[in-house]
Amino acid sequence: MIELMEQNQAIGIVTSGGLKENLQVRLNGSPQQVQEGSFIVIDSQDWKFYGIATDLQLQSIDLRYALEPSRTRLPETLANLLDCQTLYTNLVVLPSLMLERGPEPESPDYTAWRSTIDSGGKEEPRPMPVKSIPAHHASVFLAGAGDVAEIFGKPTEEGNFVIGHTREQDHPVCVNLDKLIQRSSGIFGATGSGKSFLTRMLLAGLIDHNRASVLVYDMHNEYGLDDTASDTGENVRGLRSGFGASKVQVVGLGGSATIRGSAPDFNLVLGYSDILPEDVELLTRELNLKETTATVLDALVQSLGKDKWFKSFKAMKRGSVIESEDGKKTPAPDSVAFWANQNGVNVMAAEGLHDKLRRLFNKAYIVESPPADSIQALVEALKKGKHIVLSFGDYESDLDYLLVSNLLTRRIRAEWEQMTNQFRGKNGSEPRQLVIVVEEAHKLLNREMAAQTTFSTIAREMRKYYVTLLVIDQRPSQIYDEVMSQLGTRVCGWLGDEDDIHAVLSGLAGREALRGMLSRLQAKEEVLLLGWGVPMPILVRSRRYDEQFWQDIKTSKKAGFDQAQAIKNLYGD
Amino acid sequence: MANNPQMDVQVGRLLRANTRACVAGCQPAQRFPAFGALVSIDLDENTSAYGLVADIHIDDDGLVRQLVTTPNISEAVIQDNRVNRNVPVELSILFVGHRSAGVISHRLPPRPPLSLDRVRACGEGDICAFSGAGRLGYLRFILDAQDFPAADLLAAHLLQAGRAQRDHGDSQWFAQAVDKVITQLRSDYDRLMPILEALADVQQELGS
Ligand SMILES: Nc1ncnc2c1ncn2[C@@H]1O[C@H](COP(=O)(O)OP(=O)(O)OP(=O)(O)O)[C@@H](O)[C@H]1O
Ligand SMILES: [Mg+2]
Repeated sequence: MIELMEQNQAIGIVTSGGLKENLQVRLNGSPQQVQEGSFIVIDSQDWKFYGIATDLQLQSIDLRYALEPSRTRLPETLANLLDCQTLYTNLVVLPSLMLERGPEPESPDYTAWRSTIDSGGKEEPRPMPVKSIPAHHASVFLAGAGDVAEIFGKPTEEGNFVIGHTREQDHPVCVNLDKLIQRSSGIFGATGSGKSFLTRMLLAGLIDHNRASVLVYDMHNEYGLDDTASDTGENVRGLRSGFGASKVQVVGLGGSATIRGSAPDFNLVLGYSDILPEDVELLTRELNLKETTATVLDALVQSLGKDKWFKSFKAMKRGSVIESEDGKKTPAPDSVAFWANQNGVNVMAAEGLHDKLRRLFNKAYIVESPPADSIQALVEALKKGKHIVLSFGDYESDLDYLLVSNLLTRRIRAEWEQMTNQFRGKNGSEPRQLVIVVEEAHKLLNREMAAQTTFSTIAREMRKYYVTLLVIDQRPSQIYDEVMSQLGTRVCGWLGDEDDIHAVLSGLAGREALRGMLSRLQAKEEVLLLGWGVPMPILVRSRRYDEQFWQDIKTSKKAGFDQAQAIKNLYGD
Repeated sequence: MANNPQMDVQVGRLLRANTRACVAGCQPAQRFPAFGALVSIDLDENTSAYGLVADIHIDDDGLVRQLVTTPNISEAVIQDNRVNRNVPVELSILFVGHRSAGVISHRLPPRPPLSLDRVRACGEGDICAFSGAGRLGYLRFILDAQDFPAADLLAAHLLQAGRAQRDHGDSQWFAQAVDKVITQLRSDYDRLMPILEALADVQQELGS
């Protein structure tokens, strides 16, 4: 294979350091040739080491050289000579990976080394986590495009999605989509850092790659249809407009929902029988429910049936009484109190719950008998490999988001579990991989809820049942740490809050170094890729989400690789 | 023969020596070499020592002591005393290297010269050859010199050699020499800075 070998200039040499306390590199020239987060390559004998720049420090061999500018005492040429030897910049590199590249390619040793590998006597070297360090005075380089591709994959290869470019030299950095969906992953960053834009691109990549179905809980109606950027006012293409309704369907919540004035592909309407007690219990905080709720719900299900309780409870009257001849008032048979008395439930508890559930009773998207089983339709579409953007339309309250997303996810997970079990029992086909995208994930995955929601179950069990999450959030610190630590790939934009930074880095090596980098990211369109899903942490400038992006997706032209051009180059015009 | 006689001028003969330095005497009438100049002394047919004039003494004799206190000494008497004195002008020479079988090395000569050996001033060709050989290792002898004014000796030598090198086409030599000096002394700020200031003057004189 012909690799483009760029003749890269060394920027310095390794002077000290170790696995635990990072490597120290003395830079040859100006500090500005490197930035925090730069992808660094170190050549040491038969090995290549890869790491990122985490700090730069001005140093002098004697403080007095630094304190008094030599130019005040010496002419320019002498001052330069002196500064060259006495003042320098120290670069701190966090080493991540090492790769055996063998002896010098022209040497006889190399031929021997290569043939051992080719004959199977030795494994083809792959980048692996650092277990050793480069030698003193090993040469240090800024990574070239070849190095980036070596570690993060070639943009031309199927399954690699260019998520952005290295900050200084603009080399494309890929994430491997297959790896991305193997575990749940997260996109974090303060508001305006570009999470939604990045998510659109990643989803476009996933949909294009077509190895998983995507279900987006689109709380703010951003992903399906075209949107207008809040800051630039420009049109932002949605996934449905990008791929067409044959691939991506926009589902509107409620019978007559319109999304940004357009009709969705179909509507999601819940039936009374769809609402289960556990769906209500998840709303404990939202509805400010009492501890007695569980007992009341239990009695409701016992006395009225699992799929009837909601309808019947809704139908009961609050406070209706009948008066006997002697003027004595007793609860009317259609009242909540009557039912409570009949079933040995505390009347106040039952009436309290009824009051609180009134917010649900009044939801227009919950009806007695929906025209079609739209939940099942949605599930079927996902199974068939379609992608769904569930737009909440005007139902933008937390209550709607919590209720609908939990209810749906519970149903979906059960369905996928069943499919998986059938598949494992050899009487069914392999389930289609599914990625569920949740915006404002802390609403569903906070400490309080995490124990109960299907979301956290999914995050924890990874890909066992072919479902993973892509969580998007501004406040990762509010997400339950056990869930956070399960997230494989983490894409993180600027974060101002210490707790949020801490949360994003939970369970990762080199946290101290990464922490500073996170807080100094550019506020927009710069992200740090972290976690199990990427070979090593790296800072990238996000790819631009614009018409060009869609052109590239449509022509399957990955960034930096023009298929048409490549064919032309091979075969002529 | 170790040196080119056309280029080298005899300036005196050896009085005493040790491994590191020697002292030569010369007639006051002769034009003796300047402080910092490179000189050479043949040790045998194949070997010669190189040194720098690191100190020049003019000792008094009995006569000058008397004359000093005489009022109104005539010019003729002064000249006579200078030319015909009994005590020679003494040049202290710091060894900085040697040449053996045509190869210059920046290490001390294998043995010191013997009394009355000839001391010659080196011409520009020889200066370039000596200072351009190797990697300026001999500067350490100057910087380490204990009994001589090292900073000025260095400045004087770099001026002489810098000029010779420049005139022979190497205008970088001076900067390389300064670089070497910095390398040797960078851990001693208090010493290095005044030396560099002296070298700044040299640089100006060299016009580079
Ligand atoms: N990759 C990108 N390509 C083009 N524009 C971008 C990109 N990333 C961010 N932007 C710009 O930054 C703005 C904010 O981005 P975005 O809406 O994705 O932020 P966010 O992190 O989702 O914020 P919030 O948390 O408030 O939802 C966008 O309106 C867009 O103009
Ligand atoms: Mg957003």
